[in-house]
This record gives sequence, C-alpha cells and structure tokens, in this order.
Amino acid sequence: MSTLLTQTLCKSFGSLAVTQEVTLSFQSGMRYAIIGPNGAGKTTFFNLLAGNLQPDSGQILLDGRDITSLDVTSRARIGIARSFQRNNLFAEMTVHDNIAMACAIQDNVAPVFWRPMRGFSSVHKKAELIAQQVGLEDDRQTAVRHLSYGSQRQLEVALALACKPKVLLLDEPTSGMSPQETARMDHLIKALPRELTVIVIEHDMDIVLEFADQIVVLDYGRVLVQGTPAEIKNSAIVRQRYLGEEGVAVGSQAAERPAP
Amino acid sequence: MVMTRNSLRLSIGVAAAILALIMQLSAGTFAQELFAEAAILAVFALSLDLLARSGLVSFGHAGFLGLGAYTFGGLAVLQNWPPSLAIAAALAGGIISGLIIGCFAVRTSGAFFIMVTLAVAEMFFSWVFRSPLFNGADGMGGVPRLDMRSVGLDLNNPRNFATFCILICICVWMFAEYIIITPFGRTLDAIRQNANRVSAVGGRVFSYRLAAFALSGAIGALSGALKAQHTNFLSPDLATWVVSGDVLIAVVIGGMGTFVGGIIGSGLLVYLKEVLSSNFGHWYLFLGGIFIGVALILPRGIVGSVLDWRDRRHARNNPAPAREDEA
Repeated sequence: MSTLLTQTLCKSFGSLAVTQEVTLSFQSGMRYAIIGPNGAGKTTFFNLLAGNLQPDSGQILLDGRDITSLDVTSRARIGIARSFQRNNLFAEMTVHDNIAMACAIQDNVAPVFWRPMRGFSSVHKKAELIAQQVGLEDDRQTAVRHLSYGSQRQLEVALALACKPKVLLLDEPTSGMSPQETARMDHLIKALPRELTVIVIEHDMDIVLEFADQIVVLDYGRVLVQGTPAEIKNSAIVRQRYLGEEGVAVGSQAAERPAP
Repeated sequence: MVMTRNSLRLSIGVAAAILALIMQLSAGTFAQELFAEAAILAVFALSLDLLARSGLVSFGHAGFLGLGAYTFGGLAVLQNWPPSLAIAAALAGGIISGLIIGCFAVRTSGAFFIMVTLAVAEMFFSWVFRSPLFNGADGMGGVPRLDMRSVGLDLNNPRNFATFCILICICVWMFAEYIIITPFGRTLDAIRQNANRVSAVGGRVFSYRLAAFALSGAIGALSGALKAQHTNFLSPDLATWVVSGDVLIAVVIGGMGTFVGGIIGSGLLVYLKEVLSSNFGHWYLFLGGIFIGVALILPRGIVGSVLDWRDRRHARNNPAPAREDEA
C-alpha cells in the first residue's frame, strides 16, 4: 500500500505564492487528475512532488516516510517518476536507446564501463516491453529527432515508466497533440497497470472525467475543491471559477499550443 | 554505400591510423619529431574529447598535461624511479587530481566550468613556474624515456619513439571507443544530451561527470608523461593556457565528440604549425586565419561535417515512411 501525502505544502516565488497550504492524499492504485486554469500552480505542484523544487514549508510523505528533503534523483529511485510538459528526451538517441538508458540507470548497470551495453539483455528486454506498452514498438530504431511529436509524447511517458514507479506523474500528456494522437495517448493512459498510482495534469476534460477517480481543482495555488468526476461536474464553485470561465474545455486544448 | 554513421566514423579512424603509420615509417628523420608531437597531441585531444562526451568542455586541460609531465619527470629524474613506474604514477596522479578538482569543477558547466578549469591549471602553472623543486621557470632537463630494450625497441631512436607514440595513441583511441559503447559511456552521452532527464530517471549526473573528469585527467597526464619523454625536458610552459587552447582548437577543427576528429585535428595543427612557422614570421596569424576559415565552412569540424553529410545523404535516399496521422 503506497500512499503519497502532502501536508500544508507551500511554495512562493518572491511575493507570488504558487502553492498554498496544499494538503492532499494520493491513495495507492488510484487515478487522480489535477486541473485548474493556466497559472494555477499545477506544474509547480508536480515539481514539488518530483523534487525539482524544494517547498518553503510543509512535508511530502511516501508510505509514511518523509521524503521532503530528497532531490529528484533520489525520488526517482524510490518510485516517483514524472513525464514533462515539454518533451525532455535524449534527442540524438533512438527510441529504444532512450528507454534502455533509463532502464540501465534504474537497474544500476549504468556505471558499468567494462562490458558493452548491448550485452545487457535484461535491460534491452525491459526496454522492448515498455516500448510495446506505450505503442512505440514499430519505432524502436527511429531517432528521436525523426519521431512525430505525438510519438515523442509517448516516449516521454515511456521514460517515466522505465523508472519502475509506484507513483507516476504525467504533466499534460496530450498537450499539442492531434485528435488521433490524443486518442492513442488516452488509450495508453487507461491501459496503465492498476497497481500504479497515477496523477495527471490535463486540460482535456473528456479524458479527465473518464479517467480520474478523483479530481483536484487548483486555483491560485490552493486546492479549490476535490472530488469524484461527478461531484466536480456539479460543483457550483468549479463551474463558476474554472469550467464557466473557459467554457467546458472539451477538446479545446489542442488549439492552445501549436504542434512543432 | 550502406555505412552507418558510426561505422563511417570508425573507418575514418582506422584509415587515419594506417596512413599515419605508413607515412611515419617511410618519413625522414626530422619528420619523426613531428609524428611524435602529433601523436602526443592526439592522445591529449582524446582526453579532452572523452570529457566532452559528458557535455563538459575544459579550458584548463594543460593542467593535466603539466601534472603528468612533472609527475613523470620529477619521479624519474629526482627520485630515480624507473620510467615505467613513473608513468604509472603519472596516471594515478591524473586520476587523483581529477577526482579532487572534479569535486568542485564538475558541479558547474558551460562558461563556469571553463573558468574553473582554467583557474586550476593556471594555479598549477604558477606553482611549477616558481617552485625551486623543478628549477622554476628554467625548467629541468634529463628526463629519460621508457626503457623498452628488453623487447628490442630503443626509444631513444626518434623513429622508434614516433612509432611508439602512434601505437599508444591508437590504444587510447580504442580504449575511448570501447568506453563509449559501455553503459557508462552511453550514460555520458545521455548526460550531454539532457542532464536533467538523467537526474529525473534516477542517475547521479555528478558521479558520472566526476568519473569522466578523472578518466580524462589520467589520459591527459599520460600525454604529459609522453611529452616530457619526447623533449627530455620539463618546462612550466607545458601547463599554460596556450596548450589548453591548442588542444581545444585541434578537437573543434576535427569535430568535437567524434574522437577521430581530434586525432586528425592534432595532425593538422602540428603540420600547419611546422609549415607556417618555417615560412612566415607572424605564423600564428595565418594559423588563426585558417582555423576561422575552417570553422566557418565546417562548423561541426572536419569529421563532424563528413558524418553530417553522410546523414543528409542517407535521409535523402531513405525518406522516412509517413505515418497515417501525419497527413
């Protein structure tokens, strides 16, 4: 039973409070979505969970252990893995080599300097399975720079999965994708193994309402409301502050960011 | 011609090695000094380029060269160590100083790393420049060469010494090529391409860069030990920033990150220096002009540009199959 807890987490950049007393509990194997208008502090919250940022105050606990002071690398090693909003890959490597690299680091074979990489069949086997899992099995030998944007987003998730995570943080996995690519990503996310705790930041409300067990609405760094998709849909405050303002954001995210 | 980028790179290296050996063995006595000088610079260039694989470009690499030369020469002359042991000590000195300096240097990158490495190398220079231990600015002569007469090779013969240096360079090159196909080497590549992502998947970027720095230090010290044997002389000039600059030029002109490029760049640099300095007074001016020209025409260096040309040609001949959703 792995549970991720945040207790009165606060983070400010100068006078701008981007995370304010966020206390949340993420239960093992559940699916969470974090939504909120742009600038609500969603990505900052992810950066705090993953260890890219240190909170000003408050605590983060994984399975009861205080992990607040651990950096990104240590958190990746105890089971918190993330994908990034902007593709953050090994650009000169192939799809397979990207995933195999992450597997090699996780399996502690990366420091080996006396045997060629190709001899580590268990690493390559794992990388193949993950490529299959995210639907990139046909592109394994393609260099990242020749990969379509949507496939790069899939690889982004693959690198996070290679960390053998307990908790998977996906930062806008469908941002900038075409409808077909979004459908493929939607399928990928829904097929993730059930023992994994998954937290996504997502603007596509179709995906969010269908996927999430719990939805957290952030607004100006605070938890505005938390509940099941049905509760969120019917929440007056959410309608007014979020869905109302932007219109119910069904499929509107594709227009936000042009695909490169 | 179906040749991958990597096999083309390796083929260039093998061709360069064979060509260098043939030319050296058939060259006259005076040219032997140039072949030895170029091979030693190439070992030094490999040391810089191996570090560059991890995304760090040093501008104080002469510190390692100087340290290797002074460790070797100091122990061999002042302590009468056998040269073979003194070379081992120089290698160890390179690793140890690499680990110590690396502890703070590799926490930085980019321009800061350049400044830190430059500062440390200049510290070493000013120490040996003043230290009475090695006769300060006057330098110290009488540095012996490795004794390999037991295998029938007298290294005091310039021809033998040049062959020896080329063979050492080939060994170091093969070692570097082997390192980069191991998981450790692949991780260095990953760090160069995206250090943040390596951290995010649980890799300690600092540890890998520190190891690369120490390894680079050992190879740099080896080139210094060879340099001291070549000239039979220790001079503080071995550790000046000009030496760091020359090796950087050799690597950039040849193609950074390609290993072979640094080797070819070293040969070219030594050759041009010789030709220009024997014909012109302000020969460094001409050298600079030539390098600016090469940098403008071939921004990725000679070998880097050849490899890029191969990639473009390959992409033209094999257009990637379009995916159904990319229409």
